[in-house]
Amino acid sequence: MTRRIVVRLLQAAAVLAVVATAVFVLLQFAPGDPFAAALDGTNVPPSVRMEWRARYGFDLPPAERFVRWIGALAHGELGYAASRHRPVADVVADAVPRTLLLVGVALALGFAAGILVGLVQARHHRRWPDRLLGALTLGGVAMPEFLLGLLAMTWLGARWRLFPVAGIASLGDTATWPAWERALDLLWHLALPAVVLAVGVAARVARHQRAALLGVLGEDYIRTARAKGLGEWRVLWHHALPNAIGPVLALLGLALPSLIGGAVLIERIFGWPGMGLTLFDALLARDYPLVLAAVLLATVVAVVARALTDVVAESVAPRRARIP
Amino acid sequence: MAGHTWRRLLADRTARAAAGVLGAAALAAVLAPWIAGYDPTAQPDPVALRLAAPSWQHPFGTDPFSRDVCSRVLHGARISLGVAAGAMLLSVTLGTTLGALAAVLGGWVDGVVSALVDVLIAMPRLLVVIALVATFGALSPWWLVVLIGGSGWLTTARIVRAEVRDHQQREYVTAARALGASRWRIVWRHLLPAVAPQVAVAAALALAAVIPLEAALSFVGLGIQPPLPSWGNILLDGSDYLTTAWWLVVFPMAAITLTVGSALVLADRLRVAIAGEGRPS
Amino acid sequence: MNPLLSVQDLHVDAPGEGRSILRGVHLTLDAGETVGVLGTSGSGKTTLALALLNLLPPALRARGRVEFEGHDLRTLNHAALCAVRGRRCAMVFQEPLTALNPRQRVGAQVAEVATAHGEHDAARAMRSAIDLLGRTGLTDPGERAQRFPHQLSGGERQRVLLAMALLLDPALLIADEPTSALDVTVQAQVLQLLREQQRARGMALLLVSHDLGVLATTCRRLLVLHGGRIVEDAPTPQLLAAPVHPHARALVDTVRPAERRA
Repeated sequence: MTRRIVVRLLQAAAVLAVVATAVFVLLQFAPGDPFAAALDGTNVPPSVRMEWRARYGFDLPPAERFVRWIGALAHGELGYAASRHRPVADVVADAVPRTLLLVGVALALGFAAGILVGLVQARHHRRWPDRLLGALTLGGVAMPEFLLGLLAMTWLGARWRLFPVAGIASLGDTATWPAWERALDLLWHLALPAVVLAVGVAARVARHQRAALLGVLGEDYIRTARAKGLGEWRVLWHHALPNAIGPVLALLGLALPSLIGGAVLIERIFGWPGMGLTLFDALLARDYPLVLAAVLLATVVAVVARALTDVVAESVAPRRARIP
Repeated sequence: MAGHTWRRLLADRTARAAAGVLGAAALAAVLAPWIAGYDPTAQPDPVALRLAAPSWQHPFGTDPFSRDVCSRVLHGARISLGVAAGAMLLSVTLGTTLGALAAVLGGWVDGVVSALVDVLIAMPRLLVVIALVATFGALSPWWLVVLIGGSGWLTTARIVRAEVRDHQQREYVTAARALGASRWRIVWRHLLPAVAPQVAVAAALALAAVIPLEAALSFVGLGIQPPLPSWGNILLDGSDYLTTAWWLVVFPMAAITLTVGSALVLADRLRVAIAGEGRPS
Repeated sequence: MNPLLSVQDLHVDAPGEGRSILRGVHLTLDAGETVGVLGTSGSGKTTLALALLNLLPPALRARGRVEFEGHDLRTLNHAALCAVRGRRCAMVFQEPLTALNPRQRVGAQVAEVATAHGEHDAARAMRSAIDLLGRTGLTDPGERAQRFPHQLSGGERQRVLLAMALLLDPALLIADEPTSALDVTVQAQVLQLLREQQRARGMALLLVSHDLGVLATTCRRLLVLHGGRIVEDAPTPQLLAAPVHPHARALVDTVRPAERRA
């Protein structure tokens, strides 16, 4: 166990090193820098341009900039986000919790709904509820999240005005609102993007949960449970599910990278000011330190979550002695 | 063995239907210039034909520039499915080669490939591709194929490596070796055909992953650039008119969902055929 | 008096494979009676045992009547059937390791019978489960109850399964090869326990086995199942002395030399 955790940590460190290097190297090929838009006009004398670039280290050779950047990173400094006129660490400190909130709520909703759907499908195997939900979950996996997000935003948001179209809080002087009203406002803004993300998660979870349950339902101990006179739901909930949840929890770690990818698009569609939106803005503004930080942090989250779920999935794996 | 798997798949009605949908989509993409009624970029009458609802002349309606949506979706299939097929082929070829090499050669090759897979698989693919595309600016479809395909070989490599290692232990391989067959002959004549069904599963899943990826990229303006139509950028164009001109979004959306869904179903049925269960589960 | 269990013309088919497993089984069993079903492997013994409580896998189709305490179990609604299973008619299975849930402590698995039928609350159910585990010969039942199935020996697992079946004092116990997965010495102990419990409770026992020795020492009456039908139905001494059906005769002949020696 300890060995596995150490290996995991080393792997995580390797991922981060690879990502940091790769992103930095690639950005060297990118045209322009954060000052291109502001400074490369005709009115700015070359000496001023040089001075500004020198102040933020953009005149140094790439190798030296890389060493500087890594060194600063080791001290927890992420650099200065010129496009936001704030240190990267501040921008990130605002954005990361919002993304974690969105992804966390979507994961919780998605897994709860997906497991329930899987249970219903297994309960009514090959009858109409199974077939109907099977078609729906297939659609949920096949339909890209951004499309669902687009539809939800347009109809539920713009057309019927049930939910806000964009942002994380209502316009106006919300800072003076009481705390519970602000919390409700946040939930109201969170609802659409979180549910849209959760639909995709739920569809994938349900497909795996159904298959895992059907595999377990053929086991002898399920027959024993039925012979004891347990109702079908009790059999499913107490005897099948605990033995069929392992592969679904393992999915958590596997699904996370793609969920974070999906969240990037959803944040952009719903204007949710998390890491995804920050990444898009930073890319458009050619704000390298911010881009690097965004990609690195997204990877950190994915790697850490994956390592965690591996440990969790291992601890719930069926305890079973081999039949001699 | 592998032969039985293909026979079982052919006997499966659901699998045939899914393959039929994919085949029809591919055919429509190939024949688009001949079956599309209009030039996808032509703007015959931007005033009178602006946002016309579906009719006999324009079965999927027209867009704000009076372009025929049906023709655009058909030509979009050419680009979207072409990029997807190319990326899928690239990632499956890369994955199969690397996975098979790792399993057959073992040693440090296996160590490097396995470590690479373990490390890279934790990275959010969409994020990486977006960052790359945004960095390089607008890319040609060929570069998209390289980027999307080059980032998707991990799962295939993992599956192929495990399968080849499994088959290497089996008796028929030992028997072939005993008869004096060379290592590469065994790989080519025995191991690759044996793992082909698993590679097909990986290919179907890869297709189901890359179609939405291209659509997502084009939708945020980082993929296929107008005036070249792709399902993603048709959706981008239509997204502003969702409440007034539903046909701009519904048809490309249906095209994406149908093809991705068919690829997923095909992967499911392939797995069932490999497991050897004739009955649907 | 009506018999406790009366099976009439029970058929079980496997439509997927195009064959029938049971082809018109008739049998009756009175309260407190011990009946053995003798059959070679593939004769449909396990299918018969499962069909009685409607526990067949979905790929198998059954028709016919299974009347138990005046109800036809084949047509009873699901809730009423669940009330019969485990309470009025219980079952012990062949392979005690796979028949127990690997992720639940065995004490909880026994106690669940009582709580699920609404007989006791959780604490009392656990007390009676541990008490019964002790009476089925488990040493230190309080500690054993806290273990998972894979932490017990084969004999202990079968005792757990038996305790699970006996907890609510069923009128009929169906035991499907309850000893064939056990070592010979443990077999004798479990069989002895089964006989003791049957006598003490006065419950009916339907014991299914391929082993004539096991059945002959436990049951008053024997049925021979062959080709999906009951081909012989006679009191045990009579069957051992003068089997009529050729297949029954063959089965009896295989054990006779041993008896002569004894």
